[in-house]
Amino acid sequence: MQTTTILMRRRIACLFFGAIAVFFLLLLRLAYLQFAMGSELQLKAEQLRMREVPIAAKRGTIYDRNLRKLAISISADSVYALPPEVNYSGKAEEIARTLAPILEIPEEKLLEKITAPRSFEWIKRKVDFEKAQKIRQLDLPGIKVVEESQRFYPKDTLAAHVLGFAGIDNQGLEGIEITRDADLKGVPGNIVVEYDAKGRELPQAVHKYNPPVDGYSLVLTIDETIQYFAERELDKIMSGPSKPKGATIIIMQPKTGEILALANRPGYDSNNYGQFDPQTWRNSAVSNTYEPGSTFKIITTAAALEEGVVTPDDRFYDPGYYEVGGHRIKCWRSYNPHGSQTFREVMQNSCNPGFVEVGLNMENKEKGVFYKYIRAFGFGTKTGIDLPGEAVGIMINEKDLKTINIATISIGQGIAVTPIQLITAVSAVANGGTLMEPQIVREVIDSDNNVVKSFKPKAIRRVISEETAEIERDLLESVVSQGTGRNAYIPGYRVGGKTGTAQKAGPGGYQQGKYVASFIGMAPINDPEIVALVIIDEPQGYPYQGGQVAAPVFKAVVEDTLRYLGIVSQYTYEEEKNQGIKVEPKLISVPEVVNLSPEEAVKVLKVEGLKAEVKGEGKVVTSQTPAGMAKVETGTKVILNLGEADQSLIPGTVTVPDLTGKRIREVAELLSAMGLKLNPDGHGKVVRQEPIPGTKVQAGQEVKVFFTEEEETAETLGP
Amino acid sequence: MELKKGSPDFMIFLTVLLLLGIGIIMVFSSSQYASYYQYHDSFHYLRRQFINSLIGIGAMIFVMKMNYQKLKVFAKPALIISFLLLLVLLIDGIGIVRKGSTRWLGVGSMQIQPSELVKVTMVMYLALFLSERQHLMNSFRKGFLPPLGIMGIACVLIMLQPDLGTAMALAGTTVVMLWSAGAKKTHLALLIVFGIILVLLAIFLEPYRMERFIAFLDPWKDPQDTGFQTIQSLLAIGSGGLAGVGLGYGRAKMFYLPERHTDFIFANLCEELGFIGGATVIILFLLFVWRGLKVAVSFPESFGSLLALGVTSMVGIQAIINLGVVTGSLPVTGITLPFISYGGSSLLFSLAGIGLLLNVSRYAGLDR
Repeated sequence: MQTTTILMRRRIACLFFGAIAVFFLLLLRLAYLQFAMGSELQLKAEQLRMREVPIAAKRGTIYDRNLRKLAISISADSVYALPPEVNYSGKAEEIARTLAPILEIPEEKLLEKITAPRSFEWIKRKVDFEKAQKIRQLDLPGIKVVEESQRFYPKDTLAAHVLGFAGIDNQGLEGIEITRDADLKGVPGNIVVEYDAKGRELPQAVHKYNPPVDGYSLVLTIDETIQYFAERELDKIMSGPSKPKGATIIIMQPKTGEILALANRPGYDSNNYGQFDPQTWRNSAVSNTYEPGSTFKIITTAAALEEGVVTPDDRFYDPGYYEVGGHRIKCWRSYNPHGSQTFREVMQNSCNPGFVEVGLNMENKEKGVFYKYIRAFGFGTKTGIDLPGEAVGIMINEKDLKTINIATISIGQGIAVTPIQLITAVSAVANGGTLMEPQIVREVIDSDNNVVKSFKPKAIRRVISEETAEIERDLLESVVSQGTGRNAYIPGYRVGGKTGTAQKAGPGGYQQGKYVASFIGMAPINDPEIVALVIIDEPQGYPYQGGQVAAPVFKAVVEDTLRYLGIVSQYTYEEEKNQGIKVEPKLISVPEVVNLSPEEAVKVLKVEGLKAEVKGEGKVVTSQTPAGMAKVETGTKVILNLGEADQSLIPGTVTVPDLTGKRIREVAELLSAMGLKLNPDGHGKVVRQEPIPGTKVQAGQEVKVFFTEEEETAETLGP
Repeated sequence: MELKKGSPDFMIFLTVLLLLGIGIIMVFSSSQYASYYQYHDSFHYLRRQFINSLIGIGAMIFVMKMNYQKLKVFAKPALIISFLLLLVLLIDGIGIVRKGSTRWLGVGSMQIQPSELVKVTMVMYLALFLSERQHLMNSFRKGFLPPLGIMGIACVLIMLQPDLGTAMALAGTTVVMLWSAGAKKTHLALLIVFGIILVLLAIFLEPYRMERFIAFLDPWKDPQDTGFQTIQSLLAIGSGGLAGVGLGYGRAKMFYLPERHTDFIFANLCEELGFIGGATVIILFLLFVWRGLKVAVSFPESFGSLLALGVTSMVGIQAIINLGVVTGSLPVTGITLPFISYGGSSLLFSLAGIGLLLNVSRYAGLDR
């Protein structure tokens, strides 16, 4: 028998120490993996197992200023596949065969999608509800339907350039949708699901649900109705005889800088933006720069009046041109020069030499002062409107400015501005001299209508004094009442404004036959509520002048807007004077006396200065000719038909008469004759009443009537 | 010299039973998810491993109770039988092919892996051979080369299956036994250099081994393919932390971890039981090695001493290779973790080997 030798024992002992060393190293390695590397490896393992199924957040609504919906998110169903589950079911072909006719996708293509080497695959996004419902009911393995939201613009093309549009993933791409994307988009949520390596959802696995946070909604300054007026008129001019290349209208509240309407043509449908030329997406109102031409004379005048280099009654002489350093700046009517005229007439005639002289006088008084005003009015900088793609405009570098430049800029040439810059500047004249920041968003609200952010009107700086602004408004009114802006005249309203006709500059000078016709104006002139700018780009043929092409558009839009806003019509100084000469009969709104007794009815009509003729027998008036609210002259005979009580009316019901324009004494008489109580507010003439005219109320009810102080002139210079 | 018969070493018995118990639990935990999907039976592997363990313990006790002197007699015929079985495997259509390797013989559920048998019979034969030629150990030709030759034949036969892991364990055990039997250091050094060249050749000549080797150096380079096994193993281990995610709550076994209840069972264990569980297993193996080597050192006769050493080394080397692979410390080689991994033959013959060790331990005269 061989014994175990000392050598053997020693070597075996060596082995033991070797083994200890190796096992110790393994322990170290294990500790390194589980402690030092632990969290990193764990995270990687989780990433491998966990998959997030995104849940889109609902994009906020965009409202107009009266909370009318301009852009909403509607839910749309999207169908997706989980290819591992499809494969596991072993019914991929059967599933494809079932789905193909429902989704109208070829079977082979479907099969490819549902067996794609991915864990998640969209099959079709935003499908019809019926189809989605059918697929839900089929409950095919690995085929799921998820609710997504889709942007929908209920008014289609309306305010497209303000709203812009959002893409398939509800991301803002244009307009307010992109500038306010952060507010609108919300925070997407997700469901975290744990899967095994074969793509099956784990039973009792970690399921985290992170709910999406819906986006905030926007309340715009836009008024849908006014926007509609503007777009309606744009469509009219675009299809009219002048067939312009494009057109823009902006309407602004001068006191706040709020934009009530902003529209361009050509336009597009936000719902189907992809089907329109991307050129149509361009918001010319803020992105285009153009030479403003004569409309810029408003700025020249404001600066000159403020600097005291001119007063409305200063005299000018127009020989048909003005010479500046060898250049002859011609008047638009050089074939028949305006000759001797006051500055007021220069304005009315839009006489170029007059403005050049004013501009140069200003520059002579103090070098650089005109440019200082131009900059103060906001030209040469972005207005900061919350819309994408705003341009800065083009101004000649002040160092390179020559006298000839001052001369041409005085008449709106040699400077390029954006429409939004111009209307913002002119609004400063309208509101008494303060430059406001144009505003398109009023409020950001959450889904419970709580205000998240509120945008208050922002005054940037005072540019001119109240007095200067008032004088200039007076001049602008005379442009409309007596000058080149006559076509902008709106009967019953005091409108001021300025026309502009600029030849378009192209490579190598001004282009023959290519004009930008524009009109910018405000109303009512004594306290402007709105400023509107109309720009017609390249009207074809004749006429092409702002006064002929743009002013009528201005009139149509502004007239409807003033009425819509409830701004009471008033007569201008001139109109009232004219009435005095012609002794124009005063028009009266006939009160409706139906359901009153004949005695009461006759009394009411008498109060209103109308005659009555009673016909038939009965206790009450059942009908009358002319009908209530009809406008007739004083002294007109109203025929009253008597009869038994009208079954459709509760006894004692009376119709609220139109009190607009009446003074308190007249109102009191009329209401008491009709058996209604008066609750007056303020003094002067009636501007508003509650209930509104034509409302049927019970006799004895109170009518709240709002009076406003009239202009002194109107008070003293009655007919 | 008369050998005094005592009782078998309790510590070895205990560590093996503990490892076996941990193994049964972990085989169930690691296999239940996949086995439910494969067989609609979560207990498929548990049941089999339990039966395998019982059979193995039976074999262990049987071998333990055998007459020690008779073991010398059985050594040669047992080796010849196992070599024959290895040769039979090479005949086309007789062996059972799984995952590209022909390793099994048998029908139905009665299957054995001859390479597992060879591990035990080789140890027995080498112990006999080396103890008989102890005086010739200085001779390269007569003492050093013959055992290497026999081992070489076995390794070649095993590599034809192919099964690099088993071949490496076998070669390693042979070298350890040669060293312990007193082989010259120069011979051993020569052998190690030769062995390294051989291993490198094995790696470079077989493209898939080459890929595995490159993947070992940087598994994240190709996480989907060649680095896949290592990465999944590391992710599982790393997820465990100190105390693990809890028994049964592992995620890696949900088809992420390959060979989850066999070669990579330790990764699943580390995920579910954490560093505490992993370290426990490593320490149990170390305890086992300590007691095994203690038996070898204490045994008065060189045959028994080398037998104990061989069995201990075989288990220890396999454990080291497996743990090295699973922790990303060695290139991926298919080898099971003794007593813990699922597998009928490996359990049966490993436990039979433990039977040998316990048998020898009865005469070692160790204190309890």
